[in-house]
Amino acid sequence: MTEQTLTREDFIKIDEYTYEIPKSYRPDMRVPARVFMNEKMMADILQDRAVWQLVNVSTLPGIKKYAFAMPDIHQGYGFPIGGVAATAIDEGGVISPGGIGYDINCGVRLLVANMTAAELHPHIEKVATRLFHKIPSGVGKGGKLTFDIGELDSILKGGAKRMVELGYGTARDLEFCEENGCMEVADPRLVSERAKKRGSDQLGTLGSGNHFLEVQEIDEIFDEKAAQAFGLQKGYVTVMIHCGSRGLGHQTCTDYVRTMMKKLPEWGYTLPDRELIYAPFNSQEGQDYFAAMAAAANYAWANRHMIGHWVREAWQEVIGQQAELATVYDVSHNIGKVEKHHINGREYKLVMHRKGATRAFGPGRPEVPEKYKQVGQPVLIPGTMGTSSYILTGTKESMEVAFGTSCHGAGRRLSRAQAKKTVRGSQLREELERRGIVIRSDSDPGLAEEAPLAYKDVDNVVNVVVGAHLARKVARVKPLAVIKGG
Amino acid sequence: MVKDFESLPHTADIKIRVYGKTKKDLFRHALIGMFQVIGPKIAGCHVESGRVVCKELPEKHDIAVEALDDVALLVDFLSEALYLSDVNNEAYLDVVIHELTDQKIKATIYGAKVKGFEVVELKAVTYHDLAIKKVDDVWQADIVFDI
Repeated sequence: MTEQTLTREDFIKIDEYTYEIPKSYRPDMRVPARVFMNEKMMADILQDRAVWQLVNVSTLPGIKKYAFAMPDIHQGYGFPIGGVAATAIDEGGVISPGGIGYDINCGVRLLVANMTAAELHPHIEKVATRLFHKIPSGVGKGGKLTFDIGELDSILKGGAKRMVELGYGTARDLEFCEENGCMEVADPRLVSERAKKRGSDQLGTLGSGNHFLEVQEIDEIFDEKAAQAFGLQKGYVTVMIHCGSRGLGHQTCTDYVRTMMKKLPEWGYTLPDRELIYAPFNSQEGQDYFAAMAAAANYAWANRHMIGHWVREAWQEVIGQQAELATVYDVSHNIGKVEKHHINGREYKLVMHRKGATRAFGPGRPEVPEKYKQVGQPVLIPGTMGTSSYILTGTKESMEVAFGTSCHGAGRRLSRAQAKKTVRGSQLREELERRGIVIRSDSDPGLAEEAPLAYKDVDNVVNVVVGAHLARKVARVKPLAVIKGG
Repeated sequence: MVKDFESLPHTADIKIRVYGKTKKDLFRHALIGMFQVIGPKIAGCHVESGRVVCKELPEKHDIAVEALDDVALLVDFLSEALYLSDVNNEAYLDVVIHELTDQKIKATIYGAKVKGFEVVELKAVTYHDLAIKKVDDVWQADIVFDI
């Protein structure tokens, strides 16, 4: 399939925030492709091959409704980042590792403090330094914990739940975590030795790239009732952790892409893009991948849980025992799930692929914690360095329109090379410090690549998501300190 | 001098274009490019014209990989090196290829312990845009790494 560049003219406008590429655009499309975006964003979105990738996603066997993309859409592997697809298990639906990503269960955990930003202010430098030393990036060196294969297997099976059993964090943390921090379908035997070797000393590490730890202040409340349910008040401090499954997850995805690639001659189908490789969900390879993916996802939840535990330790070591941090919620934005949804009055069991997209379940859903049930699931949207992050909540409409899904962040606009040319790391550090944001980072070039101008405006992305009724705004936080892993 | 690799712009990740007079050269330059472009921090080495230069590369590993075609082989070869890099905290800046067909490679990679990477650590080698082709009598491939 030779690639064609898409233009404005290929889109049909459904409404102010929804644009569609109809099935007629290409003969192999099984469903239309829909992008949640507004007019302003279109030029940027058409700059890379993300929409072409979305059209490719619409060719997946068993796909239902549409291939979706969130407003933070950008070019990925197979699927675009911000891509969502649901395939019906009973209709030969497939599972595609590219629809979940190399960083399985990359996600965000949010904790809220029992103190205001003003109260934190005298401690902030010390807190940032302590966090920097306590939570390693794990790059070029291991983390602080090493597990042997047996212990690691129990963590792959039990996720954050296992970490509580081992004495880290609390049971309450599990309640306020997607899947309660553990997908039961996980099977550690299906994770390779290689992946386990990589993961054995990386638990409790942030990684690099766009992963970070941020201390924030709640500077705006949009929905009082929802904010109250989530425990968020204006002026109070939050801590946000953004990271994933580290080398264990990356290796697991690499392994299964390779396994499926080797079966391709036998399966006999053609792919518009090798990275879109897939297996029928009910095949051995499909089932094996899903169970391995779940194990890697559990590793990531254990990871964020562990980092949350150390954040609490660092917090209390500097400020005192009375300083507490409660988990608000933990979401995944690179994951595959089996979910039941209604389409045209019928219930389907679906393989939900959310890559660079966050589950956004509405009020009343059984998966939402009891305390939040009347409101909906918290949706955590990290901004980039020096910019705001948002807390949203899922809606009933989101369930109908996009299987309960929202964006995950701001999405990249500039390439890293361009970002580096435009912004120098030390300049950025100075600028952020001038704005009162404390930075702890080992690498200046790394900082430049993550410069906010390299990303789409998170405000715009959130506004589109809200405009399309995929989620509702609850609160906004601004950064006080950014820690990139020591 | 014939170019071995260069960095290309990419929206969110790292992309290199690799060149080689022979396929062995192509594979060798791909490995070197993969690690050079992320700026490995190695004690005792210095940076010269944007490249890390080391007097010696004391760590070595043998790699043997099989795949269905040359594209898959290149991805699997580089993935193997990435795996070794992550578990050993090393970067590899040279390789001797003993055997290379479209389905098989046997090589020894040479490197050193790293303290970290100036730029970023790689998550994975992808198939994205990867086609191995001859352009003006020189082998060429574009490789994208997820970060």
